[in-house]
Amino acid sequence: MAELDFELRLERLFADAPELADAGPFADRVERRLDAGWTARRWLIGAAGVVGGVIGASQLMVSNLFQRVETAGDSAQLLTTSVNSSLNHITTGADWVATVSSGGTVVWAAAGLAVIMMGFVLTRVIGEI
Amino acid sequence: MPGLRHTKFASLHDVELCTQSAMGERRAFGELVRRHGSAVRGVLRRMGAQGAEADDVAQDAFLTAFERIAEFRGEGTFAAWVKKIAARLYLRRLQRDRRLGAMTAEAIEDEADIVHGDADATIDLEEALKALGATERLCVTMCFGAGLSHTEAAEALNLPLGTVKSHVKRGLEKLRTRLAPEDGVVLEGRRGNG
Repeated sequence: MAELDFELRLERLFADAPELADAGPFADRVERRLDAGWTARRWLIGAAGVVGGVIGASQLMVSNLFQRVETAGDSAQLLTTSVNSSLNHITTGADWVATVSSGGTVVWAAAGLAVIMMGFVLTRVIGEI
Repeated sequence: MPGLRHTKFASLHDVELCTQSAMGERRAFGELVRRHGSAVRGVLRRMGAQGAEADDVAQDAFLTAFERIAEFRGEGTFAAWVKKIAARLYLRRLQRDRRLGAMTAEAIEDEADIVHGDADATIDLEEALKALGATERLCVTMCFGAGLSHTEAAEALNLPLGTVKSHVKRGLEKLRTRLAPEDGVVLEGRRGNG
């Protein structure tokens, strides 16, 4: 019985841990490490999103997207010409379509924007999760 | 406004804080650290970790607990759960630094240094633990401070169960001679310690 008493007493002594003077700063340090880990994770996933976007965009380029867009642009130009010949009053809009479709710069700009958007969206989604 | 956040969480129970932490609320977990940080660090110091090392291990234990908070079923207290994690992390560190083997070897030499103190003298637990050998101190603290069973302690220490039981028994004998008798002990039932 004395042994049991002593074991119970020992458990109580161990449980009565004194509050350390720097308990607050210690908790702050742990919180900072949690925040740092979270920020690093967000950056990592965001960067992975950007890299994925770049790879995706490059794949689009490699798969002759330019050529296809230019072909589509030529078709649009032909269509515009034919439409222009019959409907002169809508030439302004059709010219704009032809200009945009034939420009390879636009595709690059769109791909760049897509990459940025993808990275941004991924970062936001991770933040929300 | 970190101050306001802390006030908001200060009124919540540990279980509620754990639930919020599981949903990714880091400030809720910070409140848990604020409440139980000293107890976890205390256990590590009693196991023999020095101040800075105890703090490092305690921080790692809390970070591990945050990562695994979904696994906490609330079967025991949150503090007890983190203490177990911290004790295991500390042992892993000792094993990594090859200090555990040296401690175990020292245990045999410590036998000659048993000090039979005056039972009437009032010595606090910290002082009494100093009379124990390193392994005895580890075993006693793991079982009575971190709440591990003898079997769990044996697995964590990579020692036979019988050896751990012997260390605990010898440690308790030494502590009994060092700690002054206490008045008004209340019996609440024996802890299931396998």
